[in-house]
Amino acid sequence: MLSKTITLENETGLHARPATELAKIAMKYPCDIKLIANGKTVNAKSPLMIMSAGIKQKTDVEIQCDGEKEEEAMKEIEEAFKNNFGE
Amino acid sequence: MFIGKGVSKGIGIGYAKILKNDEIKLTNFKVDDKENELKYFRKCLNDVVKDTQNVVEKLSGTEADIMNAYLMILQDPTLTTETERLIQEEGYNAGYATKIGFETVEEVFKNMDDEYMSARASDIEDMKKRVINKIANKSELDLSNLPENTILIGTDISTSDTAKLNLNSIAGIIIENGSENSHVSIMARTHEIPAIVGAKNILKEIKDDMYIALNGETGEIYVNPSNEQIKNLTNIKKELETEKEELVKYKDKETITKDGYKTEVFANIGTPKDMDKVLENGAEGIGLFRSEFLYMDSDSMPTEEEQFNAYKEVLEKAGDRQVIIRTLDIGGDKDLKYLNLEKEDNPFLGYRAIRICLREPEIFKIQLRALLRASAYGKLSIMLPMISSITEIRDAKKIIEEVKQELKDRKEKFDENIKVGIMIEIPAAAIMAEDLAKECDFFSIGTNDLIQYTVAVERGNEKISDLYTKFHPAVIRLIKMAIDGAHKSNKFCGMCGEAAADERFIPLLIGLGLDEFSMNPTKMLNARKMIRNLNREDCKKITEEIMQMETAQEIKQRLTDYKNSIN
Repeated sequence: MLSKTITLENETGLHARPATELAKIAMKYPCDIKLIANGKTVNAKSPLMIMSAGIKQKTDVEIQCDGEKEEEAMKEIEEAFKNNFGE
Repeated sequence: MFIGKGVSKGIGIGYAKILKNDEIKLTNFKVDDKENELKYFRKCLNDVVKDTQNVVEKLSGTEADIMNAYLMILQDPTLTTETERLIQEEGYNAGYATKIGFETVEEVFKNMDDEYMSARASDIEDMKKRVINKIANKSELDLSNLPENTILIGTDISTSDTAKLNLNSIAGIIIENGSENSHVSIMARTHEIPAIVGAKNILKEIKDDMYIALNGETGEIYVNPSNEQIKNLTNIKKELETEKEELVKYKDKETITKDGYKTEVFANIGTPKDMDKVLENGAEGIGLFRSEFLYMDSDSMPTEEEQFNAYKEVLEKAGDRQVIIRTLDIGGDKDLKYLNLEKEDNPFLGYRAIRICLREPEIFKIQLRALLRASAYGKLSIMLPMISSITEIRDAKKIIEEVKQELKDRKEKFDENIKVGIMIEIPAAAIMAEDLAKECDFFSIGTNDLIQYTVAVERGNEKISDLYTKFHPAVIRLIKMAIDGAHKSNKFCGMCGEAAADERFIPLLIGLGLDEFSMNPTKMLNARKMIRNLNREDCKKITEEIMQMETAQEIKQRLTDYKNSIN
């Protein structure tokens, strides 16, 4: 299992558009992907669950990838965080 | 025949379409064939997904982004986990399971301490309604794609429904509730769609596709009108059209009195959509852009970007015309759910407009950033509503300066010399006009509120509506103080209330020296025609007479007689 903690820089937090963007990436990979923030653990393949975690700007988010293609998944997710989900 | 209150003149003839917003009654009965029920639920959900995909295909830009996110959430298995469990394990019927299942998700969002997220609960609610409608086999009315000559009828038409309407296909609007100042009424007047509000119990009598005619001036509603009634209404319609054609001649003419006194006719607007009507009717500028409609059309606080785009669109369409945008004027009779304003005993005397903005500068700054950035695209002026003291102007200007500095740091372009003016709608401001004029660039008199606050009569109170009058000598004296106060510092003074379009009132305003008349776009040509028929010197004489009068009745009579002598 891989784990990495990234600070969310997105001004508006993980709201609908970035959350769905993130879920879209997560869904491409067969491994389990979880986000841990504000004491909540959510499935990163569900935009609804990501949104329900209410992750705001400057929050530390732990990403866990576990299973097949976990390295590729982690890399792409990290990239997306760094690009502020294109916002 | 039924009678309601006509709020937008014109004759509408067409076929009824009923806008239903009542919830389907759902009972918690259980089913025997759970598997089949689950299959039915999935089919209905899938139908809603397909409908949404069809909508998304037609969209682009931000709208497409928003609907794509909506679509992904709709397809998220987590959304339906509880619903499917209720069907599969507990055996509830699909409709009831959807209601309870989706509401569990709604609750999660509602309870989040993030305004944006809690507003997303309404998206889930919307999905719930649509799936339930599918399950109950109830077809939704597609507001953007109504047949030609639709008479739209409902208990009420919400702001968001109004925004979806394809206006070209609407021949008329009838609603059971509502008032003259409801969003739908204002929209109808701007777009010249005949409309009637307060048509009590009309939904009991009218069904979809019934033949309906209405007169938006008298408030008459005809169900299955006779040939003779149609003939009469068609004649009225022709008269109105001739009147309109007559006015088109004034579209590109100057607003100037016979003796050469030049003034301007501006438009009041609510959304960028109104700009076509504005240009069609020869506006010389925008005297009032009610920015609150951007806020009311949305389930959450509009972002800086959304506001910027709306302002920019108006400025680009306006070309070199001045555009006066009023900052958020919410509170009083206009509520915003996501602001969570407390209920007050006297909302018109309470927490509203600039009072909110100065106490919650973060909200104010989002709008100011959007306004300033948009100022790079035309002649934008900022107007502050509900000013009652000099301190408020100074405080607001301080915040504007802070935002300017912020934008400079961000290297954004904006108009450094942007004009900042105020509404004169509180008697205290009119009385202090001379001093206020030194602190700002212009005035605009908002007569609707000014009358209400001067004579202490709430606009909507029918019982004492006879006391609510612009002809009250106190109101006229306050208007004079505002205009004189502005002119003393060489500032301009406009008016953006209904009084500015009243043919009886215009000669008085010309006499007092008003610089700009701002009104509903459909009234502009008529006002210009009136002004071109006047002599400033005569108007001054009438004004002197009026200033000596003691009662509203006398003044109204004198101005009515004068108007009749002109036409």
